[in-house]
Amino acid sequence: MTALVILVPALPLFAALAPIAPLRARELGIVLAATGTGAFACAIAVAVHVANHGAFEAGSGFLYVDSLSSFFTLTVAFVVVLASFGSIAYLRSEERRADLNRLQIRLYAAGFALFGGLMLASLETGNLGLLWVLIEASTLASAVLVGLEAQARSLEAAWKYIIISSFGVTMALVATLFLYYSASSLVLSPNQRLTWPALFLHAGALQHDSLRLAFLLAVIGYGTKVGLAPMHTWLPDAHSEAPSPASAMLSAALLNTGMYAIIRFQALARPELGRYTNHVLLVFGFASIVIGALFMVRKGNFKRLFAYSSIEHMGIISVALGFGGVLGLYGALLHTLNHAIGKCVLFLTSGEVVQRWRTRDAGRVAGVLARAPLVGGVLLLGSLAIVGSPPFGLFLSEFTIIRAGFRGSSWLPFLLLALLVLAFIAFVRTTADMATGEPQAAEGAAERQSIVGASPLVAGMTVLLVLGLWIPGGLNSLIMHSIGAIT
Amino acid sequence: MTLLLTAESLSATSTAGTLLDLSAVVMLLCAFACLGSKLFDRYIAYYAFQSIVLAFAAGVVAYSLHEPALWALAALTFLIKGIGIPLATRRFLLDRLELHRDAAVSTGLSTSLIIGAFLTAFAYLAIRPSTLPHGLVASAVVPISTAIILLGALCMVVRRHTIAQLIGWLILENGVFLGAITLTATFPFIVEAGIFLDLVAAVLIMITFVSGLAHRLATATAPELRELRH
Repeated sequence: MTALVILVPALPLFAALAPIAPLRARELGIVLAATGTGAFACAIAVAVHVANHGAFEAGSGFLYVDSLSSFFTLTVAFVVVLASFGSIAYLRSEERRADLNRLQIRLYAAGFALFGGLMLASLETGNLGLLWVLIEASTLASAVLVGLEAQARSLEAAWKYIIISSFGVTMALVATLFLYYSASSLVLSPNQRLTWPALFLHAGALQHDSLRLAFLLAVIGYGTKVGLAPMHTWLPDAHSEAPSPASAMLSAALLNTGMYAIIRFQALARPELGRYTNHVLLVFGFASIVIGALFMVRKGNFKRLFAYSSIEHMGIISVALGFGGVLGLYGALLHTLNHAIGKCVLFLTSGEVVQRWRTRDAGRVAGVLARAPLVGGVLLLGSLAIVGSPPFGLFLSEFTIIRAGFRGSSWLPFLLLALLVLAFIAFVRTTADMATGEPQAAEGAAERQSIVGASPLVAGMTVLLVLGLWIPGGLNSLIMHSIGAIT
Repeated sequence: MTLLLTAESLSATSTAGTLLDLSAVVMLLCAFACLGSKLFDRYIAYYAFQSIVLAFAAGVVAYSLHEPALWALAALTFLIKGIGIPLATRRFLLDRLELHRDAAVSTGLSTSLIIGAFLTAFAYLAIRPSTLPHGLVASAVVPISTAIILLGALCMVVRRHTIAQLIGWLILENGVFLGAITLTATFPFIVEAGIFLDLVAAVLIMITFVSGLAHRLATATAPELRELRH
């Protein structure tokens, strides 16, 4: 079992060594996809084991997998699989066009593998200090991807990304210190005072003031990673400048990893601080939804549009955590999974569009459906899915969250609903114009649809559709067990 | 004698406590000096001196608690933060890009010093009364380290040059470390080592980005980093 748990992050981390070997770009892509798929298979096996035998702990808490971690591991691993198939297509086309030199292609493969592996590793540790170390390390690996294209724009985005998130994550380190301090009156060994299950057992006895400071700083610190407003400013730049498969990973995996850390801190703080934790998350959540929805109204770079939509969705998840209760948590986790898949598909689609049209400006793209029916279709359906229209999964999870809201307060869910409608109009207005309309004569005709490039799009949309119609029993019990693990 | 012998049990009146207090004050002064300067090599010199004082403080805690892991931490701090990072920044950024004077300051020096003084007072008011017990060294040092964190953040805000922002972040990080060694001296070493590794990797990547940016724009100041607005 230990070997299996270690293999989940170790396979992608091992792939980070592949660029040393004299492989061509597409072969590097295949290595990424193979190790990603292997990691996903191991993650499924771990989830099954955890479901049958309860939480797994080894190495005095440095390895710790309960239902919540295995839920997030599955989500992230699935995103890594989709994005790595997208990477094959990306690397192949960059190789053909020779936009990137050999070093950049190698850096891409190494950065991508490290990024995925470190995120998976951070989800499998029970030590909050190590969690911090791994999240910061995955930030660094992803910063390499953002700055990869090495033009002034992407370097600028990478600088903004690394300096703002380093600042934020340092706040999260201070939070970890105060959490450690808040446990100093308990009879725990130094190592246990950082280990989540041991702390959770004594969560009611943590020192009140330091715990409150720790929780606030954790929300601000890890919230910077999640892209909660007002700490979101790095996000649109980094997401729009990174290569599309990397944007997909940033949006669908990294943000969730940050949210995972916040969920852990909230679970520790709730017994002592009570509803206070919910109110904090509601405030940051609504701020993010408002910011995300308002900035989506402006037409322009479509990758920025998707990035603002990520801010909005992280806000929705945060609001769901704020509503709390079993229903709220259920909605939050389900929405995490749905958003991850949906946004991953959309960013990969945007990559296909960028490759054909050579622009990121939504105003200059028209008639995707006519030029590339599959990409256009996925763009249209994916947009409808991400704004929460039935029959896709996000409708179900947003509906659950709104229902959870009505249990607690009478007017907040209405506000949420109004903002969702605004986001719906703003988002679909842009993407529908891109998908339909008459294409200009020479635009986007160059490339044939590759099967590798199409496979993650079709697979992702299929899963999203299935999740909208039917939640498999295994997934349902995994989510219920996850809620049990943190309440 | 007890289960846990941590820095929280160091009393403020012991020799070690006095030395720690003193180091913290010197580190705070370094942060202020950095805030009040306009020359790039001064920034780096103050940062290097601050890191060496931090290494000394870590050594004091290591000596009084007999923690071998903390000795290692003190040595690492001295070698990497006190010598390595300042040398690398000087060699790869200042010398190669021929930078001397920081012209990209958004707030006047005296204004930022006054704001810094307010932040220091705020750190005392916010941290001291409720969270920490009196009479222990942590209750004297943690407010100072909070002030250093805030001053580092202030540096990042009022300076627009990327190198100044980098130094601001490093000062902030020093503040966190000072808090860490007094508040949580028994932090597991593997975690501390990981934090250090991250820091080094972050600085290396940042240096690469800054020099890449500076090659493309004559001077990489934040107001010139406006391309993404459009």
